[in-house]
Amino acid sequence: MKRMARGLRALAIASLFSLCGCATLSEKWDSLWSDVKLPDFPAFDEYTESPKSYVEIALEHDFLVRVKPWERSVLARHDMAWDPDALEAARRSHTFFSKEATMPGGSAGGGGCGCN
Amino acid sequence: MRRSRRERRRERATLRALTSSALALFGVAGKASADTAIDHVETGYSFSTYSEDKLEASKTIPNGERDRFEVSTQQLSLAAPITDWFDMSMLVTHETMSGASPWYNTQDAAGTPIQIMSGATITDTRNDLNLHANYYTEEGRLGFTGGYSSENDFDSINFGSDGELHFNEKNTTLSGGLGLSFDSIHPTGADLYTLRPTQESKQSYSGFLGLGQVINRRSMIQGSFTYDWNKGYLSDPYKEVFGIGNRFFGDDRGGARHQFAFLVRYNRHVEETESTFHLSYQYYIDTWGVSSHTFELDWYQNFGDAIQLAPHVRYYSQTAANFYIPYLRLNQAPLPEMSSDYRLSAYGALSFGLKGEYAFHTPWFRDIEWRASLSVERYLSSGDLSLKSVSVPAPGLVNFTVLSAGLTVVF
Repeated sequence: MKRMARGLRALAIASLFSLCGCATLSEKWDSLWSDVKLPDFPAFDEYTESPKSYVEIALEHDFLVRVKPWERSVLARHDMAWDPDALEAARRSHTFFSKEATMPGGSAGGGGCGCN
Repeated sequence: MRRSRRERRRERATLRALTSSALALFGVAGKASADTAIDHVETGYSFSTYSEDKLEASKTIPNGERDRFEVSTQQLSLAAPITDWFDMSMLVTHETMSGASPWYNTQDAAGTPIQIMSGATITDTRNDLNLHANYYTEEGRLGFTGGYSSENDFDSINFGSDGELHFNEKNTTLSGGLGLSFDSIHPTGADLYTLRPTQESKQSYSGFLGLGQVINRRSMIQGSFTYDWNKGYLSDPYKEVFGIGNRFFGDDRGGARHQFAFLVRYNRHVEETESTFHLSYQYYIDTWGVSSHTFELDWYQNFGDAIQLAPHVRYYSQTAANFYIPYLRLNQAPLPEMSSDYRLSAYGALSFGLKGEYAFHTPWFRDIEWRASLSVERYLSSGDLSLKSVSVPAPGLVNFTVLSAGLTVVF
């Protein structure tokens, strides 16, 4: 109990000190910030008046990562295609389709077969 | 130093991308955008054999037929640019099938379902032709597809259209498509087996919508939703439901099925190790009461420009259709819809395989790029592999092996 009380007192004193510290710092806080130049975000009116969606605004301001055409050498790799081997993909899809009760997703149509 | 063709092609692709982006910068981007018709003729041939393991002796009657199905498949593909904006591709498949297939279930002395196979008399061939044409614009692609498939007892004709729309500097791609399929079924032996219909038909109407996003220079993700509506004769004319007391009923799955599939795919390339992995997950549900989970991991490990080893593993688990029933008990009345097809029972499946590819070019002969590949895949299914425990697994669950060899030529 005694140890716990001592711990709590130490914590209280520490909090008090840190508060004072922050209070002293806060006086300088505004002056620190005045040097920081914030980027020009579009004014609130622009969001409401223009028909642009938030997504478009986010894109214009590069909030989302955009890979440029000259950075696409890896994405253009043969093994980065969704199905690098079309023949194998067609055959495997047909095999699983004929032996399981599930249809393959991600495409429409394709011929039926007498297999199921 | 002579660079390999693949290396040069990669450089060419980068150069093309650079040029198009430079043109775009100067506001003169013509049709030289990155997404154009294929720029070379590519043809491929593949031969594969599919063979199912023998049925275990304990899962059928003593001295019953235990051999199962075998299929040998030949595929030929051809893809060619017609103009800078337009390309066409073709896929021809020829399959010969033979062996026995599950017919109906009965029970052994302990009351466990056992499988009765049809005699090893089935021989069939399937010929399938599929054509695809693509028209490219700066913002996307519009494709048309048509196909015809024919078997001794089955004909199918299908049409479809699919497309892609790129935006956000081609970092986001919206894709979608619609498809129709009209099938006609005329089972063999309808004169001998009275439960088999002589002539039936079914139709399928499907559509999908997908969204792909480039995450960064090395990875991308795609999500899609697919819907398929089947109507008409959806039963299997060669399967029957046995009722203890020597009663037989035809397989009847009703006249409609609505299928829904949600698929997520993720590709990532690791430059440090020259490897690429593909990860995918699909959740499927339909109005027959079947739902399934499919997980797949494909790993493409490159050793320089010439050799690639690609192991893959796939896990699948499905629940049973509402009307799946191994057999009818003594005096049990037949259900309005019922099927003893093991493919509609609850089970899980694990498959794994390895593919090796060797790429080389012949500078002394038109500088053609060749890609030769060999692959093996093993598929195991059982009630124990199911995500949910299965009390009485279907006796006809299948294990199979697929061996395949292929050659692709890029002119």
